[in-house]
Amino acid sequence: MIVPRRVALRSLFALAVTAFTGGALGRVASRPEPGGTRDPHAFDEVYRGRRLLGFSGPGGEPTVLVDGWPLHLMRCADGGYVTPIDHYESCPTPLAATRAAVDELGTARLSPLAGAHGVPTDPTGGSPRGVHA
Amino acid sequence: MVYTRKNQRDLTGAERRKFVAAVLELKRTGAYDRFVRTHIDHYTADGEGRRRIAHMTPSFLPWHRKFLLEFETALRRIDPTVSVPYWDWTRDNSPASSIWREDFMGGNGRRADLQVMTGPFAHSAGRWTITQSMTDTRYLTRDFGRPRDPIALPTAAQLDEVMRERVYDAAPWNSTSATGFRNALEGWASGRGNDRFRIHNRVHRWVGGLMLGGGSVNDPVFWLHHAFVDLVWSRWQQRNPGAAYLPAEPPPLGDAQYRKVVARHEPMAPWGVTPVSMFDHSRIYRYA
Ligand SMILES: [Cu+2]
Repeated sequence: MIVPRRVALRSLFALAVTAFTGGALGRVASRPEPGGTRDPHAFDEVYRGRRLLGFSGPGGEPTVLVDGWPLHLMRCADGGYVTPIDHYESCPTPLAATRAAVDELGTARLSPLAGAHGVPTDPTGGSPRGVHA
Repeated sequence: MVYTRKNQRDLTGAERRKFVAAVLELKRTGAYDRFVRTHIDHYTADGEGRRRIAHMTPSFLPWHRKFLLEFETALRRIDPTVSVPYWDWTRDNSPASSIWREDFMGGNGRRADLQVMTGPFAHSAGRWTITQSMTDTRYLTRDFGRPRDPIALPTAAQLDEVMRERVYDAAPWNSTSATGFRNALEGWASGRGNDRFRIHNRVHRWVGGLMLGGGSVNDPVFWLHHAFVDLVWSRWQQRNPGAAYLPAEPPPLGDAQYRKVVARHEPMAPWGVTPVSMFDHSRIYRYA
């Protein structure tokens, strides 16, 4: 599959984010070869003019890029997902959650915070960025 | 000295001006955006293996009570006569309500890009640039009632139902807790369509735009909304004087919520205060 240059560049950005956040987006560059094992979280579609790319992260978790920008998928206890764009709707699948986020995006693009917010390490529940930002 | 939080609809013109001026001053110094960031950094969903302190969790109410107090303290350092007003959305439930007037919160976003164009928090007014956000958009956005799939604000009858809960919270202490006051007020529900968005969550949905996401604090109406949520909790506490914060003890090893929630005497980041220490606000502020 040919990855558009812009997406490839953004994927590099995503890898930089990975280094920063501890690996949420590690397998950007290692999507399966044609004929290989099918990635259960793979999708690649254009929705409302946005390129939505889904794949498995390093821990097997679903990971998405919107126009090349990482969108943090947060797993909910009901089995669904919320995103930083829409915190209040738990969607049944990563793709549904990504589309719901795009529905709210309008003409905006995602910021780096959308890919990595709420990143944990503080044992009392805070984010390291809350301390260092 | 105990101060009073008032219904925003009862503020005088001078009180509205003073509140807006103090908020704009906090924005100017950068302190406001640090509050935005604190809220962003403490959002954790409940299907992940991490401790939750702010949402989908028993400490939703005490965490936001402390968050409001910190904000209010910052405002009162600028102007000691100011307090955070509350927005009773069961009563002021329309885009025509006075809360959205030009001299206070400003109005809805415009159709093309949801940009708020009126009031002191319109980007075009020059004093409200968004810096801590999930998108690259630098202006405040709103989308009242989500016209493409309309939703109404919670009603008084729906809030009465919440007030009938008799225990503070219940296992599994998350967004799927079927009983308990906390989740009824926070507003996670199963079901279909708009029925899934209740009470507190539904208000975020109704305002829309930035209020819908991790950067909801960028909309100053966040504070007025959460002041009312806090008032509802306060009234519920009065009605249920024996109903203590739950869980009393941390869920034990082996429990699915082990190390994922904050028990009565455990500290809440980033302040280190405990839920039980936030239970009684009567020596700090009261609601009119
Ligand atoms: Cu809220």
